[in-house]
Amino acid sequence: MKGGNSSDPNDNYGDSGFARMTTVGGMTTVSGKPLRLSGSQPFTQQAGVYIMIGERTNVAGSPKFARLVKEGKYEEAVAIARQQVENGANVIDICMDEGMIDGVAAMTRYLQLLGSEPEVAKVPFMVDSSKWEVVEAGLKCLQGKGIVNSISLKEGEEKFRENAAKVMKYGAAVVVMAFDEHGQAATLGEKIRICSRAYKILVDEVGFPPEDIIFDPNILTVATGMEEHNNYAVDFIEATRWIKANLPHAKVSGGVSNISFSFRGNNKVREAMHSAFLYHAIAAGMDMGIVNAGMLEVYEEIEPELKVLVEDVLLNRRPDATERLVEYGETLKAVGTIAQEKKAEEWRSGSVEDRLAHALVRGIDAYIEIDAEEARVKLGRPLLVIEGPLMAGMSIVGDLFGAGKMFLPQVVKSARVMKKAVAHLTPFMEAEKAALEAAGHVVKAQGKILLATVKGDVHDIGKNIVGVVLACNNYEVIDMGVMVSSEKILERAKAEKADMIGLSGLITPSLDEMVHVAKEMERQGFTLPLLVGGATTSRAHTAVKIAPHYSQPVVHVLDASRAVGVTTSLLSDDGKADFVAQHRADYEALRKAHAAPKQAVVALATARQRRTPIAWRAEDLATPEFTGARVLDDFPLATLREYIDWTPFFHTWGMKGIYPRILDHAEQGVEAKKIFEDGNALLDRMIAAKSITARGVYGLFPANAVGDDVELAGGPRFHFLRQQANREGSEPCRSLADFIAPQETGLPDSIGAFAVTTGIGLKALCDDFRAANDDYNAIMAEALADRLAEAFAECLHKRVRDEWGYGRAEGLSPAELIQEKYRGIRPAPGYPACPDHTEKGTIWNLLNVEANTGIKLTESFAMWPGSSVSGLYFAHPEARYFSLGKIDRDQVSDYAARKAMPVVEVERWLGQNLNYDPAG
Amino acid sequence: MTKTEKHPLEKVLEQRIAIIDGAMGTTIRTYGMKEADIRGERFRDSGKDLLNNGDLFSLTQPKMIGDIHRRFLEAGADILETNTFGATSITQSEFFVDDPRETGGRKDPEFYQKVIEDTMLGDLAWEINETSARQCREWADRVGNDTGRQRFVAGAIGPLTVSLSNSPDADDAGFRVVTFDQVRTAYKQEVRALISGGVDLLLVETIFDSLNAKAALVAIREVFDEDGKDLPIMISAAVGRGGETMISAQTTEAFWNAVKHVKPLSIGLNCSLGPDLMYPFLSELSEKADVAVSCYPNAGLPNPLSETGFDLGPEDMGRYLGGFAKDGLINIAGGCCGNTPEHIAAIAKALQGVAPRELRVEVAA
Repeated sequence: MKGGNSSDPNDNYGDSGFARMTTVGGMTTVSGKPLRLSGSQPFTQQAGVYIMIGERTNVAGSPKFARLVKEGKYEEAVAIARQQVENGANVIDICMDEGMIDGVAAMTRYLQLLGSEPEVAKVPFMVDSSKWEVVEAGLKCLQGKGIVNSISLKEGEEKFRENAAKVMKYGAAVVVMAFDEHGQAATLGEKIRICSRAYKILVDEVGFPPEDIIFDPNILTVATGMEEHNNYAVDFIEATRWIKANLPHAKVSGGVSNISFSFRGNNKVREAMHSAFLYHAIAAGMDMGIVNAGMLEVYEEIEPELKVLVEDVLLNRRPDATERLVEYGETLKAVGTIAQEKKAEEWRSGSVEDRLAHALVRGIDAYIEIDAEEARVKLGRPLLVIEGPLMAGMSIVGDLFGAGKMFLPQVVKSARVMKKAVAHLTPFMEAEKAALEAAGHVVKAQGKILLATVKGDVHDIGKNIVGVVLACNNYEVIDMGVMVSSEKILERAKAEKADMIGLSGLITPSLDEMVHVAKEMERQGFTLPLLVGGATTSRAHTAVKIAPHYSQPVVHVLDASRAVGVTTSLLSDDGKADFVAQHRADYEALRKAHAAPKQAVVALATARQRRTPIAWRAEDLATPEFTGARVLDDFPLATLREYIDWTPFFHTWGMKGIYPRILDHAEQGVEAKKIFEDGNALLDRMIAAKSITARGVYGLFPANAVGDDVELAGGPRFHFLRQQANREGSEPCRSLADFIAPQETGLPDSIGAFAVTTGIGLKALCDDFRAANDDYNAIMAEALADRLAEAFAECLHKRVRDEWGYGRAEGLSPAELIQEKYRGIRPAPGYPACPDHTEKGTIWNLLNVEANTGIKLTESFAMWPGSSVSGLYFAHPEARYFSLGKIDRDQVSDYAARKAMPVVEVERWLGQNLNYDPAG
Repeated sequence: MTKTEKHPLEKVLEQRIAIIDGAMGTTIRTYGMKEADIRGERFRDSGKDLLNNGDLFSLTQPKMIGDIHRRFLEAGADILETNTFGATSITQSEFFVDDPRETGGRKDPEFYQKVIEDTMLGDLAWEINETSARQCREWADRVGNDTGRQRFVAGAIGPLTVSLSNSPDADDAGFRVVTFDQVRTAYKQEVRALISGGVDLLLVETIFDSLNAKAALVAIREVFDEDGKDLPIMISAAVGRGGETMISAQTTEAFWNAVKHVKPLSIGLNCSLGPDLMYPFLSELSEKADVAVSCYPNAGLPNPLSETGFDLGPEDMGRYLGGFAKDGLINIAGGCCGNTPEHIAAIAKALQGVAPRELRVEVAA
């Protein structure tokens, strides 16, 4: 945390002159709430400690910085920010206000670069511009709480309020210049008047947090020779005292170097002036100031004679103060400055290996080329530098990251430093390669790695970081993006002659896709190593589930910091064999550990003990008015029409939206209305002409549960399945059989079944339309029939609930029915609760469906005509929909026995639900 | 700016620890849905896989989603999250727009500008948000009425599939694939649609990049100002092992300083780490923040070899969060990835009768 802004103030005191000065200058007290800011780390103002704002990243404060920005040398400009932070700046001021610079673009670019520079990004930034659009562009780059510098009443109250509200929206503190419609406040009276006016507007009208208001009452240049300027320092100091006493929680800041502007070129005098001025201003309550952290004298160390002369000027103690200081200053010009721009860097004295490691861990690129060269000479070959000290440094980075002591941006920064080292070594490697080739050796090209987030997964921020780290290590990275199918990955890998494939995924389903890719690589005879990474991947999973499908190395890469170690080993001529042998041994051990007995699914017997907990009571069991089957022939279509859920109707036409809102949709509304009108017109005609016929059959039957079957009076049984997988803790293992009273309760219960269609006559109708080349109405008729069939099921369910005795009190509207706000369920075979389609056969036998309605079952147990719905009725209040999920072998064989169906056939119908590979 | 009356949820928080629901994504997976199920008729011909675009289920399988909402409410959730984690044009584009990188291109602000301006994506994002908000509203009100306990709908605003803080370009650390304004625009639409669907509050969650979150908070402020609304805001970050937002690496207190200005109803942590690893950072947040503190961790770390994909069962989660509550760290508790309704029920049970963390008011030093 060196040079940081940790909450321990002592942390900030390195050996810079400034820091020592602040401890002695610390007479100030923080009255009221402290200023809280943040970069990637928090900054909280400490009582009595002056906040130093670095000014060298201000084009006005640093000609060098201005030049670098104008020349587009942003990398060097970033180094200046870094130096400011290392010299102890708590906040850095960034200003691009210069005629030749595009402020918005420069501010954005610079702050985005600083955002990728972890050692700088930890401190809060002060976005400094007189142009609001530049300020706002800066605010859009700050993840932390920064400071806006500045706003003022210069353009009137309205603009002031508006800008203040915007600052608040972005969550920043604000510097308020003592400026109003009439100009800059120079005198104490003006400073007080403008600051108190601004404070009232901000706090009372805008609601700005007072502790986030920082007044800059204008530090103006003294010793100009103009008599009216002589009291400027005193005015500032007194204004500061007044603000701290009268404007609760408000802070005071200022641009310190202005004070000494008349002594440009005489740093010795300027440093003494800054120091003495701060000493007095801080005593009056000044909280912070913009200064060059490297250009400050320590107050106690100012030569006594100079100190008196300087203070005479600053405190306006005598009329000839200026002349006396100017005179004295001339004698000092040759002496130069005593403050140092940069402190000695101890780490530079270590061995070259240590220095390279330090540079990588701390993300310092200033000396990386020199050090890389030194290491190359020392080790003899460029590759040995990469595989030796540089890789060792990255390995430390990986360890620190794994321990939560380094964060991702730092890992990326380390990689970028690595990139510079590698770039320095590359020409030497190429020369070496050319020499080897000339001598007749075959030399491998630079490693090429293909990266992709697998099919079905859209997450790739982590993969992108891996890509950056690899690219920085001189690999050619081909990034195929997200949602990439196995075919595309493998095709590209072949076309590009990739050396390795890296698969990424964040969500659990991606794991299966990775298995699939591994299998495909095996099938197509690939010989490349496969890397696997992403949030839900793991070493164990890779070893157990993925690696066995591919005979080449399949390696899990824990995070971006570990990628290079793996790729380097796998592509190394010397190291690959050892790495692969070790890798195989490790993964084999993992597989053995995993093969130890493990409860993947709940055993069927246990699952049965954990059935849906229902306390069986006679009063919860509805008694139907009738039992047996009833046929509904030619059910009135006009009645069904009221139960139509129109939303899916629009989906048929490719229109997204919810009925009825879709009719008023800005873009689709017109089209939706037309289709809705056409549909209803056709429906009118279909109803009037009886073009289609609605037929249904339903029945209620006395029944009790026997195990996981439901046995009806007279013997027929429905066979149900029970949840076995993903049942954590005490979560019930549900089966539809749970919702019918078990035989052993002795309570009479019942079950219902139904099959309805509105597709009778539909084919003829559609054929007629198509014969007349009217496809529009053919499709419309089919869509309407589908809706009517669903409506029929809903309508019939209502009727059945009434006849079952528990539905009459519902009082639900058709809309509420569509939303299923009622007791009881009507699951259909083939759907998640009972996925076995063949159970429809039992319904067909029980209700004689085909004879009664004309609905046929195809070989695959689909219904024909299509506009048909069938299912079962459960009436218990606890009955609910669920999804069966995966089941194990024990249940499949039990089910096969109950159904008297061969296990292989059961496995065929339930393929999606098997928790095992039936072939395996 | 001044609030005249306390939000009903604030009143709840004065009395007890409020329960927020569990994970949508991992719970959906227990329903065994297939690609055809999420597509329905409507997305039948969509070019890319949609199965993991879980928000779409609110449109194509509302019954299943409703079942999950109901189960979470019945498990005891006071706060129901909308199924809108990825319901922005930006995140939806991943499922509907070809990735230019497949053909040698790249994702950059130009690409995302087209995404932002794509009406199909925009309309879809709007519809998901509004529909899910309405579905949650109905379930929350229904279960609330049935149980005589008011339930609240939180409009879930996820972190996006892009980062405003990270450069995927090895040669340019200053590059960003997307701009702040693009992110803000996408979020504004989401916020409006959620409000239109009837949410009670907004939840900016799983924040791995604080700048993305700030764009969301700016979007919320702008929608409030432009539309004359004001809903409570919950904020929750996903932190790594050092307590940093995982991509932008902002530490806990720094993050709180950065978002405090929106005067959120709560600040907290979710997802990423399991509860045990989260403790020190939650403790820090609880110490620093002067608003309610929320905590809804994953059910431990991801474990692809366990059936739920995560390490911890309901009792484990109940035990951990019960411990946090006893230590006075939290005001809102629940679960993220890997937490089923049964986990939430166990958490609710463990927190019953345990006093909430005292709400702090910052005093002048």
